[in-house]
Amino acid sequence: MASSPAVAPAPPPGGGLARLRAEVLDPGLCVACGACLGICPHLIFHDGRVAAPDACGLDSGRCLDLCPQAIAPGPEARRQELAQASDAPWWPELGPVRQAVWARATAADLVGQVQYGGVVSTLAALALELGLVGEMVLTQAGLDGAPEGARVTDRAGVLAAGGSIYAAGAGLMQVNQALASDESHPLGLVGLPCQAWGARALRAHPNYPAARRLQLVIGLFCTLNLDLRRLRAVLDQAGVDQPILRADFPPPPAGVLELTLPGGLRQIPLDDIRPTVLAGCALCPDLSAEAADLSVGAAEGQAGWNTVLVRSAVGEKLWAEALARGLVEIQPLPEETRGHLLGAAQAKRQRGLMAGKERRHV
Amino acid sequence: MSDLTRLTPGVAVLLQGNQALARGALEAGVALAAAYPGNPSSEILESLADSASSAGFHAEWSANEKVALESAAAVSFAGVRGLASMKQNGVNVCLDFIHNLAISGCRGGLVLVTCDDPSGVSSTNEEDARFVARLADLPLIEPATPAQCLALMKYAFELSEAIGQLVVLRSLSRLSHTRAAVTPGALPAGRPRPHWDPADPAQRWATLPVVPRHRVMKQKLQQAGQLMAQAGLNQYQGPERPELVIVASGSSVLYAREAIGLVDAAARVGLLSLAGTWPLPAEILAQRLANAGAVLFAEEIDPFIETEVKAWAAQQGGALAGLSFHGKADGSLPEVGELTPGLVAAALADSLGSPWRSVEAGYLERARATVETLAPVREVGFCPGCPHRASFWAIKQALAVDGRQGIVSGDIGCYTMGHRPTGFQRVNSVHCMGSGLGVASGLGQLKPQGFDQPVVAVVGDSTFYHAGLPALVNARWNQSDYLLIILDNSATAMTGFQPHPGTGLTASGQAGQAVELEKVCQALGLAVEVADPYDLEATQAAIYNAVRQGGLKVLILRRVCALVQGRRGGHPFKMRIDPAKCRGESCGCNRFCSRVFRCPGLYYDEKAGRAAIDEVVCVGCGVCRQICPAGAILAEGEGEAAA
Amino acid sequence: MKALTSDPLGIVITGVGGQGNVLMSQVLGRAFLAAGYSVTVGETYGLSQRGGAVLSQVRVTASGVLGPLIPENRADAIVSLEPLEALRVLPVYGHPGVTVITNDRPLLPLGVLSGQERYPAPEELKSSLAGLCGRLYWLPATAVASQLGNPILANLVMLGALLATGLVPLTPEQIDAALGDLFPAPKLALNHAALRQGLALAREG
Repeated sequence: MASSPAVAPAPPPGGGLARLRAEVLDPGLCVACGACLGICPHLIFHDGRVAAPDACGLDSGRCLDLCPQAIAPGPEARRQELAQASDAPWWPELGPVRQAVWARATAADLVGQVQYGGVVSTLAALALELGLVGEMVLTQAGLDGAPEGARVTDRAGVLAAGGSIYAAGAGLMQVNQALASDESHPLGLVGLPCQAWGARALRAHPNYPAARRLQLVIGLFCTLNLDLRRLRAVLDQAGVDQPILRADFPPPPAGVLELTLPGGLRQIPLDDIRPTVLAGCALCPDLSAEAADLSVGAAEGQAGWNTVLVRSAVGEKLWAEALARGLVEIQPLPEETRGHLLGAAQAKRQRGLMAGKERRHV
Repeated sequence: MSDLTRLTPGVAVLLQGNQALARGALEAGVALAAAYPGNPSSEILESLADSASSAGFHAEWSANEKVALESAAAVSFAGVRGLASMKQNGVNVCLDFIHNLAISGCRGGLVLVTCDDPSGVSSTNEEDARFVARLADLPLIEPATPAQCLALMKYAFELSEAIGQLVVLRSLSRLSHTRAAVTPGALPAGRPRPHWDPADPAQRWATLPVVPRHRVMKQKLQQAGQLMAQAGLNQYQGPERPELVIVASGSSVLYAREAIGLVDAAARVGLLSLAGTWPLPAEILAQRLANAGAVLFAEEIDPFIETEVKAWAAQQGGALAGLSFHGKADGSLPEVGELTPGLVAAALADSLGSPWRSVEAGYLERARATVETLAPVREVGFCPGCPHRASFWAIKQALAVDGRQGIVSGDIGCYTMGHRPTGFQRVNSVHCMGSGLGVASGLGQLKPQGFDQPVVAVVGDSTFYHAGLPALVNARWNQSDYLLIILDNSATAMTGFQPHPGTGLTASGQAGQAVELEKVCQALGLAVEVADPYDLEATQAAIYNAVRQGGLKVLILRRVCALVQGRRGGHPFKMRIDPAKCRGESCGCNRFCSRVFRCPGLYYDEKAGRAAIDEVVCVGCGVCRQICPAGAILAEGEGEAAA
Repeated sequence: MKALTSDPLGIVITGVGGQGNVLMSQVLGRAFLAAGYSVTVGETYGLSQRGGAVLSQVRVTASGVLGPLIPENRADAIVSLEPLEALRVLPVYGHPGVTVITNDRPLLPLGVLSGQERYPAPEELKSSLAGLCGRLYWLPATAVASQLGNPILANLVMLGALLATGLVPLTPEQIDAALGDLFPAPKLALNHAALRQGLALAREG
């Protein structure tokens, strides 16, 4: 499969799977967010990769409509729509932001156990406890190390799935499957920026009324995502025991991928990892999951802490409750850090939009 | 089939051409008959196997045609009669042996039957196997009717014994599968005891020294020609000085006779019916063509007689060289596809200058136009419940998620249909028996040169033993990189469920020694995994993992042929569509079960607006319930038997 | 031995693999042989079990040897176990005077099942057949057979209908006798019943 980014052939007439294939799958630009999965038997996911083995014969479909990597409507149009819909202060670099702070979890079983500050796990567990959602979809490492979506309904489930492995896990597939069930409770998602955009498309789709149940999206900061199979090949080459239980990109200037493996920790230089980055990630202009209700990332220069951006009313409500219950402690985001974050977000936006323009023009 | 020894001599019965050939071999006292199954030849050995214990001889399905002919030749070396029967492809498999056997010669009557298949009705080609007679200087006999099948089979044994040479008897799918009245003769009273005298210089069955023996081989053919002429195999019927003579062999003799009647030309046209076609019957040809104005050749597949007669006539010179010849070469008859009475009639009428039509042109045009507009083609496909459909589904899904454009090479068997829509067009190459493994073996060497596509070979269980094994040995030896999938349905299903080495049963249904696939592959040092193709997810995972890991691996997909299962009491489930779950066109799957999975037991009920099970067709294998995205396909009886 | 309505008499039996077509031609061939005629039965199969079309030809003459193929457009009767297959053989064996006897139960080709092709509506198919033959018998043979307990008996129902056309100088008893050679005794009664139902059905229609 050609993996050269930014090469999309002329779209076929109509939309649907044929166009999804031409624009996204065949050029290798899929980032395995999972938006198109679990809604149609023509799209399948295995071991980190989405495939469409057969022609579906229809010229429209949710698969294309929901795909964050599809050419239309494009990231800028989507972002404009978000800006109009949101009543939060609009930050040119980070989208809607009501609050921006450093935070970390206070619960003893979280400190040091989960990635960075433990805020994501805290919020996900709290949302379940409050009944804000009846079910959360997170990404966890499967038995064979391949990331996969997981549906959890309580704090223990959240903790079991804690940690990210920076490889595509198609978490939105679990959202779609949850939406297809007979349950009626609200759903939540912890996802990457692409998944937050996919989730927004789900909720807005006219032919997907069940998706209104998706009530909460906790976004994760993301600079890049890895192709699991290529990562495995690199690790094989380096003689690394697998499966990968957890993978972290410690904040700069670490310059490594830190892997938690059955045999302990292992650091791989970023230069070795670069060839395994998903080609489709080059098109992404969003560092901070702007379409989420809350976004959480690692706090630069402050180990064990998170950067938290509170974006929507729903997010704000959850955040207020977390603070009120003392589940998180906070400190102001230092000016310098804030500057770095804005710079990084701006740089990613420019790179992504540039790559998108090239793609359009080919 | 049936025990043909029970027929009453002198009482006519309706026999299929293949049964008549078998009865002929019984009457000739055959001591060993061997074959590999292949339509249209299979019923010959089936009938003989059913008659073997009554008649007291050995009949076997051999692992392949070459072994079959070698076994038959062996008993000839020991002074008794041997028969090997096969379809046209099998002759190619035997070719190396045939060329050496023709030089060594033989002793007891030895006959090779080839059943050629014009139009490739049940074949992957329409090869004319008569070439082997020309190539190896072997006498060639071509019967035209079931009655001739019996008589000429007996004659072929006598001729072979008379000249100490293999004789080729050529049947055709049409003749092999025609039933007509045949009057059996007597069965032999006793049997000679086989014995091979190692001290007898005449019983040294080897080809050396080549040149003197090659000379003997030529002499044998000449001698055969004389004997065949004396036997009166070839007949002429018609006027003494005809405007045209039709030279015909095989079924075409009957078409030609009928064609003469259809164009009402009995007074003007003669018919030279040839049953002994190689060596060319020069005497009767010279006699009958010398007085003719023109010649039309009617024979199946290649212009074999036509070409040889033209070359011979040119050599003769005189009136013969000046004859006008019609046939396949000048386009009077088609070069491809089977002949029919109408085709011969039209060619004859054209040669006589008076065009002929089978029916008024208007009718033909109307009928053709109606079929064209109304009749969808009837595509062949895997049977309902066929494990191959499930296997190819899993292969398709696994290679799609693998995403490196995997290649699947296949070969001959029901699974050949893997290259049709019924197998999701997931087989990329099909040639001869075992060729899938050889093709994969070569592709599997290209990785160092940048070929990054996974390679899969599919082979049937019977085909694996026939011609797959050497290719697998080769792959192991040279460390080729591919996944071999053995589609083990425990039968030679394509040709009528004959047993094979893996089943452990012999042709006559006796217990033989089973040769187990796993053990054979393990003995080669290969990792072998077994999966049930009915379990789609597990099969997909096994295929995916194997191609991701790379290296030469064997995956056996084991599930008995659905037709065999039908005979053993059928499948466990009664399938049903849950009307509450199948949402029809509003699902968005666009009829995934009937359109993509394509089992004939599933259809889309337009009136009800949802999928439906055709209860007459569905056998209840339960596979389809795994593919419905809505879980709307239900299997009743689940839990009573393992899925 | 009664004289044939035409000599040679040619009957095409067509249908889809698994419908019992070859058996039908064998029964007919045996009955003709027992009645003293010279008969040739040609069968085309190979992929017959795999949903393809299967065609047999029964040729009968008072004396002499006939080839396995009915000459183009010279069939006297076309018996079809599936209505579309009756139409499909007409350009090859049909003519304006041919008698067509067909089962009305469609077996949908894979291309139709999968929605890529269309199977003609029954009325459309029936009128097309009627326009291309001399006599058309359009019979619910599978329905009758299913009432008898097994849809596979449609082949005997159709054979009975063929007897009703008067083209075949054989009695039901002669067919019964031929069936006796091929079926174990317990199965005979149903086959005999199917034959007679077909005979009655075609006489009514």
